[in-house]
Amino acid sequence: MDLRYIADDGVSASFGLSADETIAERVGTGASVPTLRLYSYRSYCALVGRFQNVQSELHVDFCREQDIPINRRPTGGGAIIMGDDQLGVALTMPAHVEDTYNRAREIMAVTSAGLVSGLNKLGIDAHFHRKNDIVVDGKKIIGLGIYRAPSDGLLFHASVLVDLDVPFMLQVLNTPFEKISDKEIAGTMERITNVRRETHSQIALDAVRQIMAREYETALGATLIPGDFTEDELQAIHKLEREKYLTDDWIYQTSSIEDTSGGCLIKTPVGLIDVRVTMAGPTIKAAYIGGDFFASEAAVAELEGALRWHSGQPDKVAAQLEEVYLRQREEFNSLPVEYIIQAVQKAVARSLALAGQDQAADSAVTAGEN
Amino acid sequence: MIGTTEFTIEKKTYTIPADRSYDRESHMWARFDPARNQVTIGIDVLGLTALGDLAYVTLANVGTTINRGKSFGTLEAAKMTGNLSTPVSGQIVARNESAITNPALVNQDPYQAGWLVVLEPTDWQAESAQLVSGEAMPAWVDSELTRYRQQGWVD
Repeated sequence: MDLRYIADDGVSASFGLSADETIAERVGTGASVPTLRLYSYRSYCALVGRFQNVQSELHVDFCREQDIPINRRPTGGGAIIMGDDQLGVALTMPAHVEDTYNRAREIMAVTSAGLVSGLNKLGIDAHFHRKNDIVVDGKKIIGLGIYRAPSDGLLFHASVLVDLDVPFMLQVLNTPFEKISDKEIAGTMERITNVRRETHSQIALDAVRQIMAREYETALGATLIPGDFTEDELQAIHKLEREKYLTDDWIYQTSSIEDTSGGCLIKTPVGLIDVRVTMAGPTIKAAYIGGDFFASEAAVAELEGALRWHSGQPDKVAAQLEEVYLRQREEFNSLPVEYIIQAVQKAVARSLALAGQDQAADSAVTAGEN
Repeated sequence: MIGTTEFTIEKKTYTIPADRSYDRESHMWARFDPARNQVTIGIDVLGLTALGDLAYVTLANVGTTINRGKSFGTLEAAKMTGNLSTPVSGQIVARNESAITNPALVNQDPYQAGWLVVLEPTDWQAESAQLVSGEAMPAWVDSELTRYRQQGWVD
């Protein structure tokens, strides 16, 4: 299989996203060839997920002060910053109509394998981790997402963190933290890592790109044919850019479901447990679990990851946390699962109460709350 | 049609009601009400298993006309974002506002409260022939479950 390979750098947020969606749509109709694009954005831009609310996810005033463009991806997931030190990955493939989910699954599996293999080549012990992340020792290093275009073209999106300025990122993103302290920065760095940190080197983004490209060839069994966008494609990209990615209607659209946050601090015999959740309606979008109990950061990150994009229903929260405990029993010897369940359920209940969806709040536990 | 027979398979219950038709590819279901000449549309459990929990759903406005296979809405689920494609052509006469404000409803009750839109079909007779229903369903459900298991979508 031949796969066009495009490498471009310093692209604007609107062009970068428009190009990815345009090629996905055209690949679905057969107007464009399957393409692997490894690229970078001009530092910095802030990209929210498909249905996120900009005002909830970003410090918009800071972005304006710093001249940081804001845009919205076609793929889901959380808000990110992209720039010179983050490698964007856009793989566009046709989804055979009769087998769409198969293709999506294959693309996620194969593309993840290409990225994991690339990281392994760099000496990083990375692996695919549930839903949408590639992690190293529990720390996220690559975020993944799939978008299915109306033409049935599939866009696989990934962002490889070659490096990351965490304090800057926390100034751009609206995190569950009330203020950005050294502790919060340290906590974030326990949950996110990057290629340079893991390799103890100053490896260039282009070097990472070349390794990823080679590993993709192997993973996909494809021959990469270096190329560029055609004139027809550029016209279509610029058209979509004008009509969508440069418009406030797209960027600042709001969902029918408001984001809410809730927190819970409980004192337990094994220490304080501090849980904060961000929710989209009844779904947990993100969870932060902290405190002074004893458990490895990787194990805590596993709990947080298990809650991401998970139902906030009390029984489902409990079942999900218990499942993680079963897998990581040794890691949580000093932290009984019931305490974590209590804290998460209460944080969710408070978030739902804020949203007026407090049916679940009534059934959430309150015992042990401080 | 087979009335309301349901298929429940092994330990986990993947219920596929037999009182409606299914799109082989998109796993959208369509239930025709001949008295009203209306078709209610939703996603079946296998489709939902492949998508994961829905976090956001948008639906086209009432009055919009959509052709078979085209998008009548968008979704963000745990595993992907994408479009909701209609199994039959028609004009939207109702949409489920509850599914928009609480997408989890679609996962919780995909065949009743989690419906998505109601269409007035353009050509139900011809287009429904392209969907799976009746006696063809057990074999289709079986083959889809096998495929999903092989691909790791279901246990």
